[in-house]
Amino acid sequence: MIRQFAKSNFLTACLLAASFLFSFQALAGDLDLFRGYKGAISISGGTAHIPVMKEAAKRAMTANPDIQITIAGGGTGVGIKQVGEKMVQIGNAGRKPTEAEIKQHGLVLFQWAIDGVGVVVHPQNQVQALTFSQLQDIYAGKTVNWKELGGVDRAINLYTRDQASGTREVFAGKALNKGAVSPRANVVVSNGAMKTAVANDPYGIGYVSVGHIDSSVAPVALDGVKPTEDNVRAGKYKVARGLYSLTAGEPRGLVKAFLDYLFSPSGQQIVIDKGFIPVR
Amino acid sequence: MNRFGELLLALFSWCCTLLLTATVGILMLFLLRRGLPAFDAALFFGDTPPLAALLLSKPVFDGLFPALFGTLALVLLAIACAVPVGLAAGIYLAEYAAPAPKRLLNLFFDVLAGIPSIVIGLAGFALAIVLHRTFSGRIGHCLLLSALSLAFLVLPYLIRSTQNALEAIDPVTRRTALALGASKLQNILYVLLPNRLADLTGGVILAVGRCAEDTAVIMLTGVVASAGIPNSLLRQYEALPFYIYYISSQYSGPEELQRGFAAALVLLSLCVALFLLAFFIQRRLKERLLYR
Amino acid sequence: MSIFSRIVERLFSLAAAGSALLTIAVFLLLLYLALPLFEQGGFWALIRSPWDPGAGLYGIYPMLIGSLSIAFLALLIGFPLSLGGAFFITCFAPLFLRRHLLNLVRLLTGVPTVVYSFAALFLLVPFLREHLTGGSGLNILGAALMLAVLIAPTMIIFFVDALRRVPSGYLQAVTALGGSPGQGLVYIALPLAWPGILNGLLLGLGRAMGDTMISLMIAGNAVALPGSMMDSARTLTAHIALVIAADVSSLEFQSIFACGILLYLFTALLVLMVRLLGKFPKRSPG
Repeated sequence: MIRQFAKSNFLTACLLAASFLFSFQALAGDLDLFRGYKGAISISGGTAHIPVMKEAAKRAMTANPDIQITIAGGGTGVGIKQVGEKMVQIGNAGRKPTEAEIKQHGLVLFQWAIDGVGVVVHPQNQVQALTFSQLQDIYAGKTVNWKELGGVDRAINLYTRDQASGTREVFAGKALNKGAVSPRANVVVSNGAMKTAVANDPYGIGYVSVGHIDSSVAPVALDGVKPTEDNVRAGKYKVARGLYSLTAGEPRGLVKAFLDYLFSPSGQQIVIDKGFIPVR
Repeated sequence: MNRFGELLLALFSWCCTLLLTATVGILMLFLLRRGLPAFDAALFFGDTPPLAALLLSKPVFDGLFPALFGTLALVLLAIACAVPVGLAAGIYLAEYAAPAPKRLLNLFFDVLAGIPSIVIGLAGFALAIVLHRTFSGRIGHCLLLSALSLAFLVLPYLIRSTQNALEAIDPVTRRTALALGASKLQNILYVLLPNRLADLTGGVILAVGRCAEDTAVIMLTGVVASAGIPNSLLRQYEALPFYIYYISSQYSGPEELQRGFAAALVLLSLCVALFLLAFFIQRRLKERLLYR
Repeated sequence: MSIFSRIVERLFSLAAAGSALLTIAVFLLLLYLALPLFEQGGFWALIRSPWDPGAGLYGIYPMLIGSLSIAFLALLIGFPLSLGGAFFITCFAPLFLRRHLLNLVRLLTGVPTVVYSFAALFLLVPFLREHLTGGSGLNILGAALMLAVLIAPTMIIFFVDALRRVPSGYLQAVTALGGSPGQGLVYIALPLAWPGILNGLLLGLGRAMGDTMISLMIAGNAVALPGSMMDSARTLTAHIALVIAADVSSLEFQSIFACGILLYLFTALLVLMVRLLGKFPKRSPG
């Protein structure tokens, strides 16, 4: 019994080794960055970044099992503070950190993608185009029924993000023109949560990273421009921002390898696959 | 009260019971219907071969395995920390404490039992920040911190169950060994505790369940959305209840949502199984002790 | 042996004292981190003002009201339900059912709250949105309904316990006098058991007030002062979970420690009330 187990174990090991070699061949090059490293990186902050971070971490941890990468959300504010306090090694930000923040914590910025912030509604909603002033009225709580915009006679359910969100800050600054957000809005904690909230609420409206928009929600054109990857890339869609990873001081060792990987061809391919616009 | 009032009261209690059981029943059936179809090896191990995953030789992505592993590690650690302290404090309360300190201690443990778990999590979180600043280094949110916070959370339950178990012992059993010349401590260790083994085990198992299900504490003390298998106690980790919460708000598609339902089912069955285990241990051990 | 036993006995007392000290330590830690607030005299201002970070206001008044309204609504729904359930188990259920029902209720106390909220999020919330409350379906009513389901088993156990403590001789006397079980329950058992029932009620309130996951997932987390039970609201507990990692030195961050202190004080107060209740002279039957 034990022998049998040992045998099958050996076989698995061989298979694993083989598949390992194969995967190394397939992804040759960029993943070599992680060779020889041991240890852990913890990442927190911006939630728009999470799909890219997860994929990159998955590949790094598969290529080198001695590495452990943990990914938490929390929002841009959390990322900046936690990396500043050195509670994580990489803090993600969905907006450019302010001069004060950079100075206070000695932050180094790595912008590895461009992203937009798009307004989304439920796919069955007939209202799929708004003007900026209509949007501002909706979020200020002045327009309260879809009927007023040519939709069904139902109350508009507002969704917004918490205070730590970089997406919220970009949205409030560039789409609402620093206008108010009604305190009656439901608050969700991440881009992913925003998407599922709107996808589940036929009368909801929210805003989300363009990279997160898929068929479960419908993008809303603002002044005639749809929030799509192409429009963001061409500069037609103005509610855009960079996606940053921040370190406190110049990154070294494994952290540097991880950031380098994000800027490598395969890292940038992940950026494209997840619906963002690469910087290289 | 006339016949009509009597009938009304009976009707009311029937309705309440039915309403309550029906509500819970519907919720559970809903979970089963949505979650059961997702049960297969891929649910736990993603596309990693199960054996390789279990031997920790290959990391698992898109599976429940890291979350289950995290929850298991968390529970074991927390219980290992809480049980000795809980038992000792319970014994002290039941056997040693004088009336006045006992009243005071009882008050403290009642307060402790009532503190919302999020407040305990907040305290753990604050402790991590203070430690981090003091030692400006590696101590932060991690598995160990979560386990200690959880241990603190279940401590009052353990103390209470130990105390109640010991206090329920009848005077004859309590005095026999003493009369034969045993010391007080010998009496406790060799007579009283074994006599109540069933209740003590039951209390511990229920504490395990409490550790496994709590979300608020770990949310503030170190659980993350994606971590793999932690290779040290000072690392962040995944856990089942947090996984369920995380999926509930940000699943990316129907498949991931179904995994969330399945995870909820796994956690539910885990807690039910633990409850049944405690239940049967209490009954079985009682029977055995009775006939010995 | 005697040195050994002395050491062990010392350990027992240390464990008890240490656990009690930790209870205080938690409170002191919260107090220490909220200290800057007290120094500025901002604690009470914080409790009374609204949450509007844009305007520099980090008050937790809406969350306090949110917590209280959700917890009390849950109690309002859960209390009669639990009382009915307890009556059923002690008095009206067929005999063979009683023991199994009580075990079932015990089992229900162990159902994880995150499981309840997960199921409710995909079943109750859409139902409320389409058929009952409109809006997003994430509101006080939904959270209170789920909380009622959550705290009912705990309350039922306490109620059954209190009702069963009534000496059976009294109830037999009622039967002997030609009274019905219902009459025994209402005129004898209930008046005698009320301290135990109030006890269970207070503990249920504590549980409802202290729960995080249900309000976090079902109540919608809006920061406005709720005007009705159809409104979305944020509780103190959910507020801690939402703001937690945002910041470590700002007013925003200190406000969550104020939430923690409020919750701690509230539960301690409930425990004290339960204690005082225990001291209440038992009313003599008759």
